[in-house]
Amino acid sequence: MSKFLVVMKREYAQVVKKKSFVVMMFLTPALMAAFMVVPALLATMESSSADYLAVIDRGDQGIGEQFAEALRGYTIGDTDDPAYIVEGVINVDPSDEKRFAEAYDSLVVQVSEQNLKAFLVVSPEAHLADSNLLMVTNSDDFITLRRVEDQLSNIVSSHRIRIADVDLTVDSVLALTRSVDVPIRDTQGEAIPFMIKYFAALIFVMLIYVMIITYGATLMRSIIEEKNSRIIEVLVSSVSPFQLMAGKVVGLGLAAFTQVAVWVVLGAAIFMATSSGGLEIDPAVGRMVFNPVIVTFFLLFFISGYIMYSSLFALIGSIVNSDKEAQNFIFPITISLILPVMVAFAVVRDPGATWVQVLSFIPFIAPTMMLERIVFVVPSLTEYSLFSGVVAEATLSFILVCLTTLGVVWLTAKVFRVGILMYGKRPTLPEIIKWVRK
Amino acid sequence: MYLKLEKIRKQYEDKVAVDDLSLEVPQGAIYGIIGPNGAGKTTTIRMIMNIIAPDSGRILFDGREVDGSFVDRVGYLPEERGLYKKMKVSEMITYMAELKSCPASDARKRIDPWLEKMDLAQYRESKVEELSKGMSQKLQFITTLLHEPDIVILDELFSGLDPLNIELIKGVLLDLKRQGRTILFSTHVMEQAEKLCDYICMINRGQKVIDGKLADVKAQFGSNVLQVDMEGDGGFIRSLPGVKSMDEFNNYIEIGFEAGADPDVILKGILDKVKIRRFEVMEPSLYRIFIETAQIDPSDLKQEEGDSHV
Repeated sequence: MSKFLVVMKREYAQVVKKKSFVVMMFLTPALMAAFMVVPALLATMESSSADYLAVIDRGDQGIGEQFAEALRGYTIGDTDDPAYIVEGVINVDPSDEKRFAEAYDSLVVQVSEQNLKAFLVVSPEAHLADSNLLMVTNSDDFITLRRVEDQLSNIVSSHRIRIADVDLTVDSVLALTRSVDVPIRDTQGEAIPFMIKYFAALIFVMLIYVMIITYGATLMRSIIEEKNSRIIEVLVSSVSPFQLMAGKVVGLGLAAFTQVAVWVVLGAAIFMATSSGGLEIDPAVGRMVFNPVIVTFFLLFFISGYIMYSSLFALIGSIVNSDKEAQNFIFPITISLILPVMVAFAVVRDPGATWVQVLSFIPFIAPTMMLERIVFVVPSLTEYSLFSGVVAEATLSFILVCLTTLGVVWLTAKVFRVGILMYGKRPTLPEIIKWVRK
Repeated sequence: MYLKLEKIRKQYEDKVAVDDLSLEVPQGAIYGIIGPNGAGKTTTIRMIMNIIAPDSGRILFDGREVDGSFVDRVGYLPEERGLYKKMKVSEMITYMAELKSCPASDARKRIDPWLEKMDLAQYRESKVEELSKGMSQKLQFITTLLHEPDIVILDELFSGLDPLNIELIKGVLLDLKRQGRTILFSTHVMEQAEKLCDYICMINRGQKVIDGKLADVKAQFGSNVLQVDMEGDGGFIRSLPGVKSMDEFNNYIEIGFEAGADPDVILKGILDKVKIRRFEVMEPSLYRIFIETAQIDPSDLKQEEGDSHV
């Protein structure tokens, strides 16, 4: 058996046989889901009990009563329980400042003691200026605030129409002027909601990032360990440094691949189980996950990015003597890989912006950045050829990554064979340059 | 000649580590490279192992310049010992054998006899980190030899070994010699080398001081020495007529005498002053030869010998 295969087999077995490998296999997707999905779910989740509200109405148009009536239409989830209970509407004569102040102060106390979620103050002539309305609350519950605004808009608009004395019924005017909800379809004639694209991009990018950082760091640590335990000298007297490095990179890469493969199989199983169980998965999700262009480029950038970065990790491991020394070098790697996640909101608005294009051609950023762009564009095979649009750009970017990878591997092979025998002392940059020239 | 070094040279920055060193190791011999720390022993061995490249000179094995095939025919024990802590003993041995192109199935067959021989049988399935330092040394020795190399190269062979293990390993080396294998080792412990070598090469500051068959080297050096074990202070011996040199060791004093001097006369001179427990006229020790040939201050060397090897 070739020595490269012997090294590869050991590196693979050392990772896969570990208990932590199996634990992480199940824990990582769970954690990823927890970090991305749960906060979003919690934010949209309705409270399980009714919220108490109050109204002080100083006007004579009955806006307070109408508002209380409108809110009664909301229920909690699918139940018949009301979502809001309006504690009664306090009507105060506009001239009676004393009574208003009393009512206002007592409601403020109730809100600050959290007996009330909020109260609304309606001044006279509410239809003339928004400043004649006031909502007092300490809550940032945006769902409730949006409902309040929606209902008040309707009520105030009705009054404006009535006062304008147009020759139409209020309802017909409202119907005629209702806001427009523009349906959005892409060129494939389908709609993929923004949030689905965003999460899909995040998952693909995070997957590459987590795999490269995890397995790259494992590779680096194993080299540091071999240096510190001095076993490296026996190793390089048996295999060439390049065979050793290649065996490690490929062995650990296969371990990473095993992990992703298990996730894909698990994901597919869950997908099948839920769709046969009657639970419909959004077809938009299917279009993203089973898009051949996205899947192909995910694999290409995953493999090339992994080889490029793990060679870089091997280079770092060969010149440092401890994990601590390595930290300084790892930071730029983390930033390059995670950058697309940090700018995702800007990228999704315009995946073709010049700065996004430039970033997606910088080889160390390209694997995650270009992938993010592809996911946001959702190209289809019928629409794009290899030579047009984002697919052509991705192909070019992939070629650049491959060329850079060759360069990094060449450089690492040069530095690695000298660096691994330098115990105790970290080489200076001029020394490293000298090794490379040799 | 089996292994031949032709004028190999290695320079680091401004320091010459190995200076045009030539040596010849015959097949089936036990060959010792001897010298103090920093003499260039490890650099020489690393060049033989192709871990570092010489600046100039050639290294020939079996008549050909060393290449990839040499790697699998050699067993190498570096000065700095090391194993994978998290691997099992049996896995560790198999892995190292596979790296020497020895099929795993063959390696597995050979593991048990070796573990028996080295008194490690009960640790077969233990992790390397559970072994004591001495046991790890023996395990590393097994990994050096399991693929049945034609030539064994051992750097600082005795460093870190307790006396019991030294005897055990000496026995193994003599077995290997009987099988016709060649053994090259380096050490700074000259007494040990003296008991084991057929051939020696003494080096100091990167240069060869003397080399050849151990018996020839001793004969070439000529004059014998007197070893005396006595009660009381022997400081006066230095001034006795006919005494050329005197080295005090823990349990005895070694006295070199001038050509033509009669050891009997010297012995009488000592007996006049102190009581002698034991005496012996013998061949000069390698230590004596080294000091006289390399012309170095013995106090420097003694200090180094006292160090536990780093």
